[in-house]
Amino acid sequence: MKVFSSETQFDYSWEEVSCANWLKYSPWNKMTPHVIAVDTLQRSVDPATGILRTERLITCQQSPPKWILPFLKGQSTSHVYETSYIDPKTRKLTMCAMNITWSDFLNVRETCSYEPVRTNTGAEHTQFKQYAEITALCGGWQKIKNSIESVSVEQFRQNAANGRQGFEMVLEMCRKVWQEEREKAAQQQTMAA
Amino acid sequence: MSASLAPECNEIKERYDNCFLKWYTEKFLRGTATTDECAPLFQEYRKCLGVALKERGLDITIEEARGDNKENDDQHMRRS
Repeated sequence: MKVFSSETQFDYSWEEVSCANWLKYSPWNKMTPHVIAVDTLQRSVDPATGILRTERLITCQQSPPKWILPFLKGQSTSHVYETSYIDPKTRKLTMCAMNITWSDFLNVRETCSYEPVRTNTGAEHTQFKQYAEITALCGGWQKIKNSIESVSVEQFRQNAANGRQGFEMVLEMCRKVWQEEREKAAQQQTMAA
Repeated sequence: MSASLAPECNEIKERYDNCFLKWYTEKFLRGTATTDECAPLFQEYRKCLGVALKERGLDITIEEARGDNKENDDQHMRRS
Protein backbone atom coordinates (compact mmCIF):
# COMPACT_ATOMS: atom_id res chain seq x y z
CA MET A 1 0.00 0.00 0.00
CA LYS A 2 1.16 3.52 -0.76
CA VAL A 3 -0.12 6.73 0.77
CA PHE A 4 -0.56 10.11 -0.82
CA SER A 5 -1.34 13.13 1.30
CA SER A 6 -1.27 16.87 0.82
CA GLU A 7 -2.52 20.03 2.41
CA THR A 8 -3.10 23.50 1.03
CA GLN A 9 -5.07 26.68 1.63
CA PHE A 10 -7.45 28.43 -0.70
CA ASP A 11 -7.67 32.17 -0.46
CA TYR A 12 -11.50 32.06 -0.37
CA SER A 13 -14.13 31.73 2.34
CA TRP A 14 -15.49 28.29 3.19
CA GLU A 15 -18.89 29.27 1.73
CA GLU A 16 -17.28 30.18 -1.59
CA VAL A 17 -15.21 27.00 -1.66
CA SER A 18 -18.12 24.74 -0.74
CA CYS A 19 -20.25 26.26 -3.54
CA ALA A 20 -17.49 26.17 -6.12
CA ASN A 21 -16.86 22.54 -5.20
CA TRP A 22 -20.08 21.63 -7.02
CA LEU A 23 -18.62 23.20 -10.15
CA LYS A 24 -15.15 21.72 -9.75
CA TYR A 25 -15.35 19.71 -12.99
CA SER A 26 -17.31 22.30 -14.97
CA PRO A 27 -15.95 23.78 -18.23
CA TRP A 28 -14.39 26.57 -16.10
CA ASN A 29 -11.82 24.01 -14.99
CA LYS A 30 -9.42 23.61 -17.91
CA MET A 31 -7.04 21.33 -16.00
CA THR A 32 -9.08 18.15 -15.60
CA PRO A 33 -10.16 17.08 -19.10
CA HIS A 34 -9.92 13.45 -17.92
CA VAL A 35 -13.15 13.93 -15.93
CA ILE A 36 -15.78 13.55 -18.63
CA ALA A 37 -18.98 13.27 -16.55
CA VAL A 38 -20.29 13.85 -13.02
CA ASP A 39 -23.67 12.41 -12.09
CA THR A 40 -25.58 12.76 -8.84
CA LEU A 41 -26.94 9.42 -7.61
CA GLN A 42 -28.53 10.34 -4.29
CA ARG A 43 -28.88 13.43 -2.17
CA SER A 44 -30.51 14.07 1.20
CA VAL A 45 -30.39 16.25 4.30
CA ASP A 46 -30.29 14.39 7.62
CA PRO A 47 -33.20 15.84 9.62
CA ALA A 48 -31.38 15.27 12.94
CA THR A 49 -28.01 16.87 12.15
CA GLY A 50 -28.75 19.01 9.07
CA ILE A 51 -25.82 17.34 7.27
CA LEU A 52 -26.20 17.23 3.48
CA ARG A 53 -25.12 13.87 2.05
CA THR A 54 -24.52 13.56 -1.69
CA GLU A 55 -23.57 10.49 -3.68
CA ARG A 56 -21.97 11.01 -7.09
CA LEU A 57 -20.58 8.91 -9.90
CA ILE A 58 -17.55 10.44 -11.59
CA THR A 59 -16.59 9.19 -15.04
CA CYS A 60 -12.96 9.53 -16.17
CA GLN A 61 -11.14 8.86 -19.38
CA GLN A 62 -7.41 8.56 -19.02
CA SER A 63 -4.67 6.71 -20.85
CA PRO A 64 -2.62 4.65 -18.41
CA PRO A 65 0.92 3.48 -19.33
CA LYS A 66 0.83 0.83 -22.07
CA TRP A 67 2.29 -1.96 -19.91
CA ILE A 68 -0.59 -1.63 -17.46
CA LEU A 69 -3.32 -1.90 -20.13
CA PRO A 70 -3.47 -5.73 -20.17
CA PHE A 71 -4.32 -5.63 -16.44
CA LEU A 72 -7.17 -3.25 -17.21
CA LYS A 73 -8.56 -5.47 -19.95
CA GLY A 74 -8.08 -2.65 -22.45
CA GLN A 75 -10.69 -0.44 -20.81
CA SER A 76 -9.78 3.25 -20.53
CA THR A 77 -13.04 4.65 -19.07
CA SER A 78 -13.28 4.38 -15.32
CA HIS A 79 -15.75 5.31 -12.61
CA VAL A 80 -15.32 6.71 -9.14
CA TYR A 81 -17.98 6.51 -6.43
CA GLU A 82 -17.94 9.58 -4.21
CA THR A 83 -19.89 10.60 -1.13
CA SER A 84 -19.74 14.06 0.38
CA TYR A 85 -20.94 15.27 3.75
CA ILE A 86 -21.55 18.95 4.41
CA ASP A 87 -22.22 20.18 7.90
CA PRO A 88 -23.42 23.80 7.60
CA LYS A 89 -23.20 24.35 11.37
CA THR A 90 -19.61 23.27 11.97
CA ARG A 91 -18.78 24.38 8.40
CA LYS A 92 -17.01 21.27 7.31
CA LEU A 93 -17.10 19.54 3.95
CA THR A 94 -15.76 15.99 3.74
CA MET A 95 -15.52 13.95 0.54
CA CYS A 96 -14.78 10.23 0.30
CA ALA A 97 -14.03 8.56 -3.00
CA MET A 98 -13.20 5.06 -4.20
CA ASN A 99 -12.60 3.53 -7.60
CA ILE A 100 -15.26 1.07 -8.75
CA THR A 101 -13.57 0.18 -12.05
CA TRP A 102 -10.57 -2.17 -12.01
CA SER A 103 -11.29 -2.63 -8.31
CA ASP A 104 -10.14 -6.26 -8.33
CA PHE A 105 -6.79 -4.94 -9.55
CA LEU A 106 -6.31 -1.67 -7.73
CA ASN A 107 -7.92 -0.14 -4.67
CA VAL A 108 -7.88 3.65 -4.33
CA ARG A 109 -9.54 5.29 -1.33
CA GLU A 110 -9.43 9.00 -0.86
CA THR A 111 -10.70 11.39 1.82
CA CYS A 112 -10.65 15.17 1.40
CA SER A 113 -11.83 17.89 3.72
CA TYR A 114 -12.41 21.63 3.51
CA GLU A 115 -12.57 23.67 6.71
CA PRO A 116 -12.41 27.39 7.46
CA VAL A 117 -9.15 28.73 8.87
CA ARG A 118 -8.12 32.18 10.15
CA THR A 119 -4.91 33.62 8.78
CA ASN A 120 -2.55 35.84 10.82
CA THR A 121 -4.17 38.91 9.31
CA GLY A 122 -7.59 37.76 10.48
CA ALA A 123 -8.86 36.94 6.99
CA GLU A 124 -10.78 33.72 6.47
CA HIS A 125 -9.32 31.13 4.16
CA THR A 126 -10.14 27.48 3.59
CA GLN A 127 -7.87 24.63 4.58
CA PHE A 128 -7.88 21.68 2.18
CA LYS A 129 -6.60 18.27 3.28
CA GLN A 130 -6.28 15.27 1.01
CA TYR A 131 -5.36 11.71 1.98
CA ALA A 132 -5.37 8.64 -0.24
CA GLU A 133 -4.42 4.98 0.13
CA ILE A 134 -3.51 3.07 -3.01
CA THR A 135 -3.20 -0.72 -2.95
CA ALA A 136 -2.47 -3.06 -5.85
CA LEU A 137 -4.47 -6.25 -5.43
CA CYS A 138 -3.35 -8.32 -8.38
CA GLY A 139 -1.60 -11.58 -7.60
CA GLY A 140 2.03 -12.09 -8.51
CA TRP A 141 5.30 -10.61 -7.53
CA GLN A 142 5.59 -7.91 -4.93
CA LYS A 143 7.84 -6.11 -7.38
CA ILE A 144 5.02 -5.79 -9.94
CA LYS A 145 2.61 -4.65 -7.25
CA ASN A 146 5.10 -2.02 -6.13
CA SER A 147 5.51 -0.75 -9.70
CA ILE A 148 1.76 -0.56 -10.19
CA GLU A 149 1.33 1.30 -6.91
CA SER A 150 4.15 3.72 -7.77
CA VAL A 151 2.68 4.49 -11.19
CA SER A 152 -0.75 4.97 -9.63
CA VAL A 153 0.52 7.29 -6.89
CA GLU A 154 2.36 9.34 -9.50
CA GLN A 155 -0.79 9.60 -11.62
CA PHE A 156 -2.74 10.52 -8.48
CA ARG A 157 -0.21 13.21 -7.58
CA GLN A 158 -0.43 14.67 -11.09
CA ASN A 159 -4.24 14.62 -11.06
CA ALA A 160 -4.27 16.23 -7.61
CA ALA A 161 -1.94 19.04 -8.72
CA ASN A 162 -4.01 19.65 -11.84
CA GLY A 163 -7.18 19.44 -9.78
CA ARG A 164 -5.96 22.16 -7.42
CA GLN A 165 -4.91 24.42 -10.25
CA GLY A 166 -8.21 23.85 -12.04
CA PHE A 167 -10.17 24.50 -8.85
CA GLU A 168 -8.46 27.90 -8.52
CA MET A 169 -9.87 28.75 -11.98
CA VAL A 170 -13.36 27.72 -10.87
CA LEU A 171 -13.08 29.73 -7.63
CA GLU A 172 -12.06 32.83 -9.54
CA MET A 173 -14.93 32.48 -12.02
CA CYS A 174 -17.45 31.84 -9.24
CA ARG A 175 -16.37 34.98 -7.37
CA LYS A 176 -16.71 37.03 -10.54
CA VAL A 177 -20.15 35.67 -11.40
CA TRP A 178 -21.48 36.08 -7.84
CA GLN A 179 -20.14 39.64 -7.68
CA GLU A 180 -21.96 40.45 -10.93
CA GLU A 181 -25.15 38.88 -9.59
CA ARG A 182 -24.93 40.87 -6.37
CA GLU A 183 -24.42 44.09 -8.33
CA LYS A 184 -27.37 43.28 -10.58
CA ALA A 185 -29.58 42.59 -7.56
CA ALA A 186 -28.48 45.85 -5.88
CA GLN A 187 -29.21 47.78 -9.08
CA GLN A 188 -32.68 46.26 -9.33
CA GLN A 189 -33.34 47.21 -5.73
CA THR A 190 -32.29 50.82 -6.36
CA MET A 191 -34.50 50.96 -9.42
CA ALA A 192 -37.45 49.57 -7.49
CA ALA A 193 -37.00 52.10 -4.68
CA MET B 1 -21.83 22.28 -15.03
CA SER B 2 -20.48 18.89 -15.95
CA ALA B 3 -22.04 16.51 -18.42
CA SER B 4 -23.87 13.29 -17.60
CA LEU B 5 -22.38 9.95 -18.60
CA ALA B 6 -25.63 9.49 -20.51
CA PRO B 7 -26.00 12.26 -23.16
CA GLU B 8 -29.78 11.75 -23.22
CA CYS B 9 -29.89 12.92 -19.57
CA ASN B 10 -27.86 16.09 -20.10
CA GLU B 11 -30.79 18.45 -20.44
CA ILE B 12 -32.66 17.40 -17.32
CA LYS B 13 -29.36 17.12 -15.43
CA GLU B 14 -28.52 20.73 -16.22
CA ARG B 15 -31.90 21.93 -15.06
CA TYR B 16 -31.53 19.97 -11.83
CA ASP B 17 -27.93 21.10 -11.21
CA ASN B 18 -28.90 24.76 -11.63
CA CYS B 19 -31.84 24.35 -9.27
CA PHE B 20 -29.64 22.61 -6.68
CA LEU B 21 -26.88 25.21 -6.82
CA LYS B 22 -29.38 28.00 -6.24
CA TRP B 23 -30.93 26.10 -3.33
CA TYR B 24 -27.49 25.34 -1.88
CA THR B 25 -26.22 28.94 -1.94
CA GLU B 26 -29.43 30.76 -1.14
CA LYS B 27 -31.06 28.39 1.33
CA PHE B 28 -28.89 25.53 2.62
CA LEU B 29 -25.87 27.64 3.54
CA ARG B 30 -28.05 30.31 5.12
CA GLY B 31 -29.88 27.71 7.17
CA THR B 32 -33.26 28.61 5.70
CA ALA B 33 -33.93 25.44 3.71
CA THR B 34 -37.25 23.96 4.73
CA THR B 35 -38.44 22.24 1.58
CA ASP B 36 -36.60 20.76 -1.35
CA GLU B 37 -38.01 22.55 -4.36
CA CYS B 38 -35.63 20.68 -6.67
CA ALA B 39 -37.09 17.28 -5.80
CA PRO B 40 -39.32 16.96 -8.92
CA LEU B 41 -36.36 17.76 -11.21
CA PHE B 42 -34.12 15.34 -9.34
CA GLN B 43 -36.72 12.60 -9.65
CA GLU B 44 -36.88 13.10 -13.41
CA TYR B 45 -33.07 13.18 -13.75
CA ARG B 46 -32.65 10.05 -11.62
CA LYS B 47 -35.22 8.22 -13.72
CA CYS B 48 -33.22 8.96 -16.86
CA LEU B 49 -29.90 8.14 -15.20
CA GLY B 50 -31.23 4.92 -13.66
CA VAL B 51 -31.96 3.49 -17.11
CA ALA B 52 -28.49 4.47 -18.37
CA LEU B 53 -26.74 2.91 -15.36
CA LYS B 54 -28.67 -0.34 -15.76
CA GLU B 55 -27.82 -0.52 -19.47
CA ARG B 56 -24.13 -0.19 -18.60
CA GLY B 57 -24.33 -2.70 -15.76
CA LEU B 58 -23.24 -0.01 -13.31
CA ASP B 59 -26.26 -0.28 -11.03
CA ILE B 60 -24.92 -3.42 -9.34
CA THR B 61 -21.38 -2.01 -9.00
CA ILE B 62 -22.78 1.12 -7.36
CA GLU B 63 -24.85 -0.93 -4.95
CA GLU B 64 -21.69 -2.80 -3.93
CA ALA B 65 -19.77 0.47 -3.47
CA ARG B 66 -22.60 1.77 -1.30
CA GLY B 67 -22.10 -1.22 0.97
CA ASP B 68 -18.32 -0.70 1.07
CA ASN B 69 -18.86 2.93 2.00
CA LYS B 70 -20.91 2.25 5.16
CA GLU B 71 -17.99 3.09 7.44
CA ASN B 72 -17.58 6.54 5.87
CA ASP B 73 -21.31 7.18 6.27
CA ASP B 74 -21.18 6.20 9.95
CA GLN B 75 -18.18 8.40 10.57
CA HIS B 76 -19.26 11.52 8.72
CA MET B 77 -23.01 11.56 9.23
CA ARG B 78 -22.55 12.29 12.92
CA ARG B 79 -21.16 15.51 14.24
CA SER B 80 -17.62 15.07 15.59
